[in-house]
Amino acid sequence: MRYIKTILVILVGFCSSCDNYLDVVPDNVATIDMAFKMRVTAEQYLFTCYSYLPSDSHVALNPAIYGADELWHYADVYPGVQIAKGMQGKGSPIMDYWSSSSARMSAPQTGSLEGTFATNSLWQAIRDCNIFLENVHRVKDMDQFEKDRWIAEVKFLKAYYHFYLFRMYGPIPLMRENLPITSDGEEVLVSREPVDVCVDYIVQLLDEAAADEKLPLKIEDRTTELGRITLPIVLALKAKVLVTAASPLFNGNTDYADFVNIDGTNLFNMTNDPEKWEKAATACKEAIDISHAAGHKLYTYNLNINAPNVSPETFIKMSIRGSVTSRENPEVIWANTRNATGSLQREAQARLDGGAANASIVGRGMAPTLKIAETYYTKNGVPIEEDKTWNYESRYDLRLSTADDRFYIMPNYYTASLHFDREPRFYGSMAFDGSVWYGQGRFSEDDPWHVEAKLGQYAGGPPGGNRYSITGYFPKKLVNPLNTYSATSAYVIVEYHWPIIRLADLYLLYAESLNELSGPSEEVFEYLNLVRARAGLESVEESWTQFSKNPTKYQMKSGLREIIHQERTIELAFEAHRFWDIRRWKTAINELNAPVYGWNVGQSDAKYYYRPRLIFNQTFRLRDYLWPIREYDIIVNKNLVQNPGW
Amino acid sequence: MKTIFKFLFLIFLSFLSFTLSAQQKQISGEVTEAGTGNALPGVNITVVGTTRGVMSDSDGKYSIQASPNDKLVFSFIGMESQIIDVGSKTAIDVQMMEVSQELEGVTIVAFGQKLRNKEVVGSVTTIRPDELKVPSSNLTTALAGRLSGVIAYQRSGEPGQDNAEFFIRGVNTFGYKVDPLILIDNLEVSREDFARLTTEDIASFSIMKDAAATALYGARGANGVILVTTKQGRDEAVKVSIRIENSISSPTRNVELADPITYMRLHNEAVITRDPLGSRPYSQEKIANTIEGTNPIIFPITDWKDEMLKDYTMNQRAHLNISGGGKIAQYYLAGSFTQENGILRVDGKNNFNNNIDLKTFQLRSNTNINVTPNTEIIVRLSGVFDDYTGPINGGTAVYRNIMRTNPVLFPPVYPVDEAHEYITHPLFGNYGDGNYLNPYAEMVRGYKNYSRSTMTATVEFKQNLNFLLDGLRMNGLVSTSRYAFFDINRYYSPFYYQVLPGSYDRKTGKYAIDVINPLDGTEYLGYSEGPKDVSSVFYLQTMLNYDKVINKKHRFGGLLIFMVRNRLEGNAGSLQLSLPYRNVGLSGRATYSYDDRYFTEFNFGYNGSERFYKTERYGFFPSFGAGWTISSEAFWPEDQPVSKLKLRGTYGLVGNDQIGSATDRFFYLSNVDMNSAGRRGIFGEDRGYSRNGIFVTRYDNKDITWETSRKMNLGIDLGLFDSKIDIIADYFTEYRYNILMTRSSIPTTMGLTASSRANVGEASSRGVDVSVDVNHFFNPQFWLTGRGNFTYAASKYEVYEEPVYPNSYSSRVGYSLSQQWGYIAERLFYDDAEVNNAPRQTFGSRPAMAGDIKYKDVNGDDQITSLDQVPIGYPKTPEIIYGFGLSTGFKNVDFSAFFQGSARSSFWIDAQATAPFISHTYSGESFGGINLQNQLLKVYADDHWSEENRNAYALWPRLDDQVNSNNSQTNTWFMRNGAFLRLKQVELGYTLSKSVISRLKIQNLRIYLNGTNLASWSAFKLWDIEQAGNGLGYPIQKVFNLGVQLSL
Repeated sequence: MRYIKTILVILVGFCSSCDNYLDVVPDNVATIDMAFKMRVTAEQYLFTCYSYLPSDSHVALNPAIYGADELWHYADVYPGVQIAKGMQGKGSPIMDYWSSSSARMSAPQTGSLEGTFATNSLWQAIRDCNIFLENVHRVKDMDQFEKDRWIAEVKFLKAYYHFYLFRMYGPIPLMRENLPITSDGEEVLVSREPVDVCVDYIVQLLDEAAADEKLPLKIEDRTTELGRITLPIVLALKAKVLVTAASPLFNGNTDYADFVNIDGTNLFNMTNDPEKWEKAATACKEAIDISHAAGHKLYTYNLNINAPNVSPETFIKMSIRGSVTSRENPEVIWANTRNATGSLQREAQARLDGGAANASIVGRGMAPTLKIAETYYTKNGVPIEEDKTWNYESRYDLRLSTADDRFYIMPNYYTASLHFDREPRFYGSMAFDGSVWYGQGRFSEDDPWHVEAKLGQYAGGPPGGNRYSITGYFPKKLVNPLNTYSATSAYVIVEYHWPIIRLADLYLLYAESLNELSGPSEEVFEYLNLVRARAGLESVEESWTQFSKNPTKYQMKSGLREIIHQERTIELAFEAHRFWDIRRWKTAINELNAPVYGWNVGQSDAKYYYRPRLIFNQTFRLRDYLWPIREYDIIVNKNLVQNPGW
Repeated sequence: MKTIFKFLFLIFLSFLSFTLSAQQKQISGEVTEAGTGNALPGVNITVVGTTRGVMSDSDGKYSIQASPNDKLVFSFIGMESQIIDVGSKTAIDVQMMEVSQELEGVTIVAFGQKLRNKEVVGSVTTIRPDELKVPSSNLTTALAGRLSGVIAYQRSGEPGQDNAEFFIRGVNTFGYKVDPLILIDNLEVSREDFARLTTEDIASFSIMKDAAATALYGARGANGVILVTTKQGRDEAVKVSIRIENSISSPTRNVELADPITYMRLHNEAVITRDPLGSRPYSQEKIANTIEGTNPIIFPITDWKDEMLKDYTMNQRAHLNISGGGKIAQYYLAGSFTQENGILRVDGKNNFNNNIDLKTFQLRSNTNINVTPNTEIIVRLSGVFDDYTGPINGGTAVYRNIMRTNPVLFPPVYPVDEAHEYITHPLFGNYGDGNYLNPYAEMVRGYKNYSRSTMTATVEFKQNLNFLLDGLRMNGLVSTSRYAFFDINRYYSPFYYQVLPGSYDRKTGKYAIDVINPLDGTEYLGYSEGPKDVSSVFYLQTMLNYDKVINKKHRFGGLLIFMVRNRLEGNAGSLQLSLPYRNVGLSGRATYSYDDRYFTEFNFGYNGSERFYKTERYGFFPSFGAGWTISSEAFWPEDQPVSKLKLRGTYGLVGNDQIGSATDRFFYLSNVDMNSAGRRGIFGEDRGYSRNGIFVTRYDNKDITWETSRKMNLGIDLGLFDSKIDIIADYFTEYRYNILMTRSSIPTTMGLTASSRANVGEASSRGVDVSVDVNHFFNPQFWLTGRGNFTYAASKYEVYEEPVYPNSYSSRVGYSLSQQWGYIAERLFYDDAEVNNAPRQTFGSRPAMAGDIKYKDVNGDDQITSLDQVPIGYPKTPEIIYGFGLSTGFKNVDFSAFFQGSARSSFWIDAQATAPFISHTYSGESFGGINLQNQLLKVYADDHWSEENRNAYALWPRLDDQVNSNNSQTNTWFMRNGAFLRLKQVELGYTLSKSVISRLKIQNLRIYLNGTNLASWSAFKLWDIEQAGNGLGYPIQKVFNLGVQLSL
């Protein structure tokens, strides 16, 4: 018995220490509380909030680059191209910023995923912003001044993420505060809120961010802080939000009369409210004023040290190119520093010689469409079909260039008449078969690069079936002129930061708002002409009066609207604006229901090459104005209604 | 914990009773061996409850002082101990029975306990280790169809990667741990270690299936338990046993490819049929010249399979064991060696071997030492060592690469011409920029070495506590094992060559080749290291065991086990994973049987795991069982066919703590990545200022706990015709609850970065397993045995966290756990007009065209989305596995054949991996910038939709030279029935007759020839059906094996 007792005691002793034995976790395991203990980790959290900024410079992550009718690609690999081809679907939406790829993974349905490009759900971004706002007060080793700045930045980001979703999906649920993870049932089944409520909330957040000058007017320490939110950024976004809200898609859009929430409330307002344009105009003016105060101005070319003198033609071309790609660019109000532009630039860069060094590195297929090439004005600053002096009918005929064209087209080269006598922005933004490509290591105007793009020529296609421009055009505007191209060594890229908002954009938004509000006026022309002047064009009034077949077009509200729309398309071409603009203008149904043309790139002879070739017949349906919400999300949340038509 | 423990001990103590009195007298007698009648010297005779003891002398005689109330214990190594009441006797003669390791009628159950077959009420399958012999170094390949209750299948034949998947009674949970707990000599081992076990070393092999059999393993036994014990030495003369085998293996079936001419033609067709403006990859000239065979260098036709693979390979195995011992110590020493080779070719210019060469060495030493008559110490040492040489990315990658290389672009190597006479490296072929995959170069350009070892040391201590209480024994075991793995790759970068464009002179046939990548290639070897893997396990177990028969009819048994397990990972990868893995458990068993007719038992496991929060840490898992041997009843008539009939039933709970995924630990803690590059913020002119972000990868949940299984088993044991036919049949049901699941009710608008989870899932399963044994001796020279097994296990989702689907077929509930959901393929589209009018099918980037698969719009919303996916086919895991075989012997010749089959499963042809001309990468692979081009299967070439032949029911849809997501959706078009029957093994043996043997002074010599996977029957012909969807991988092997077995 004694032995048994001993054994018993030993065994029991073992077991009482069992609990300790199983407690293997030390105390300092990382938990979310750790994030707000010190400034260093709180800064990491601030950066986390920034990290969700959509990668707008990434051709596969920004639907607006390829998604409309500006740029095309020989393959269907990019989600933007898939959207442009009408392949959007609700099963697994393309470019789904609503449900992240990780959220999809955990979904029990195991069917393969169509639009599996890795994007983070912006709802995660909003949740992180809310966590930051709820907890940042707990950080001990920070002064209030800095906390206030960070809070204002995160409020801005929260507004931007809501806006990004709003622009895609229309009315959305608003995540004003985080719901606790443990909450269950009805509480988490949020429903969409009407358009006006969404806009008001986004504006409210932006107002809070802008209040009391907690944000700097401009970034002083550009080496560590460029990319952080400033006051002009907040006001510029506010202007953009209000212009979007005032635009026909969201302002009295009766197409959505039947679009109601689960409880029957209308998600779209049914009556056009002109006051929204007033709000928009005020916000634009405010944003422009503060941008000016911060030193923002339209970009003009800083002469390259290697070429201290250039012709006026080249100067304007370089001003156009630099307005996007220049690193020291006073025009850019907000640029995304998180994402590099290297792959985008390689995508846009045409092959400039036959050397093998760069054959597979550049020229990866970004191709402006013939339609956009025809949208640029003539050298007289009016549309090609309106210019009295320009032969519109024979624009596809071949024409031999002369020495007079040497800043734009290599002399003695046959190319389409379309490529002659155009405005400088055409030559600054696009490259084509026979065009001059200044920069990229060659800064002498006597010996610049040029492009030869017919079949068998070095920039032409298709070499081995891929890496060519399917239209024969190249978006030169997106390539930094300082990148060096060489026949013998690899392409060297000088990164720039992808501009999300630049001053010309604001000028045009302001002009648009004023025109919508009260029709043509001096102020409308003033801002429109600022943009045209930089592009080397005469004023709207002068150009139309002198050269247009419709000389009084600019004097009417609707005529001027057309002019502003075209000006915007030209000025902001390839910068992923048109995709959203034609949606908010509700013109996409016309613009995107048309064939996409390019040159006949499979031909080596100019005679055959310069025949427009049908690439794709685009179709755009009403439902395409708004993204589909993934079907599974609708199933999970019965309070969430699907967008019309999906 | 403490209170339960005390309570249990009181129950335990209540079994004990003590009576002591003193009236000493002299008792004497003789101990003899049963059967022979020989006197047994050295037998221990002790008085129970005292330390008094004597030993029998050289004539087997003894004498000892004892009182009438005393009991004497007679014990001798290798013999069964006997306990005899003294009573009024003064002379006690005893006959001792030999204990055999494989003693007929004993079943090894949980924790290595021996139960007489009669006593078993749970569901335990045992098998003679001989039956698991296969000509392979992989034990897992022998399981299918041999053991009732086991669902098993093998998907690959690559040495070292050919483990079969096996589950006990199917897969009944949707967590990550679905396979059984595997124990060798009570120590948990990995599947890999189990696979390497040599059958010769196995003394017993048991599979425990129901709650009563597994409850002792508490929180770890829910998926069933496999228990193996290894052999021990005996008190006998030295015995040496040797087995040597040599085998030839070759693939059971090879995938047939289209000829290169067809390949080119159809590749052209694939491009043009999708894009009439597309450029044809092959010119008419190239095709014509290739047909003519003008110049095999300029117009190559490369049969990559032929160039890279041999038809067969040879493997060797040897095993040696020595056992024996004396009264004080016995030993069992075994060593084995196997070498398995792949069927890959080696380039003569390399001096290294890139073929698969897997050598496995094993050493095992079990030593038993009798310290005192009542105390035994067992020391077990074992080591398993794998040394591997093989291709850098493994054999499966070699096969897969062959399947995605263009057959007409270049030869594997160019013949050395004058200009390259002095070059020592192979002139590997390539094309264009040298960016094409040359699988031959890829295979021979280097080799991988890996080394894996597991070493285990165990000390077991057995103490007979008869002196305390008659029938009480104690057992302690301490063990530690170390696992280590590392691998190294050595390789060069191939120099690629191509024919210089324009250098080919048609008339003379002359051409020039030149290197494509003079800067990238190397002749010297580069080097890379893989991850190292090291871990250690510590295990401690103490056990008290009580067994007592009172009045010859009442048999009591008791068992109490305490165990502690600690595992450490040396390179876990994260803080939380690096923390020790621990289990603590207390288990017990109480049995009572009456007259070997009525049996009852109660088992429990009480376990703790470190994974859960304090309040959820311990689980209590009880089970009950009862049995009734009807045939032992007095009323059971003697003379009738049914000689044995026993009914059994058990019911109870078992747990599973390995839920979620292997990397999920400490569910009660949140897991935060404080340094997440994915959440990085970047600022500054040169993007020079950045900080990594913070990212929650798991939200805490303190409520998460075990998954529990409620099991019920009803069994019947039937012996017919004097046990010439033995049938064991079990019907089981299982209900698994508290299965960890992702909450699906949380919409994405919540913005959670990790899924939230809870123990909400429930699943049930039921099934039958039956085994039938037939033994018949026609005469001593001629015998026949047959054995058949049948296992049916079907599972079902009972509660599954999912949103409320608008259609019932989208819900998992009611379907098998391995049910596949997919689209219903109606047929191929007739024409483009039909495509435009049919419900929209938008999959991937290729718009659907005529000849693509048309899916059924099940919910009628005019779009094909995931809501149109319905349950299709049988489950992916077979629901039925069966096997049957026959052995017969006549005089010195023996013959056996074994068939194995599987039914009620579906599999899917991988429509992307087999899609011709496209570039396909398997998940986890990366081919930076290398062009892959799938080969064309012959069956696809013969039967596909084309514009000329618009067959809406063709095997393959309209050709495409790019990934076509429309056609590669999981759908019924590529679904196949996985049922098959195969002739698994045939063996012919010859045993040398006694007269010859005695002349040779050996004990036994048998020569045998066997064949494995010789034939199979199924409707599926593309590849070996057991590989299912993995058909382009390393094929399953057919093996012919010649062996010699020798005992000295």
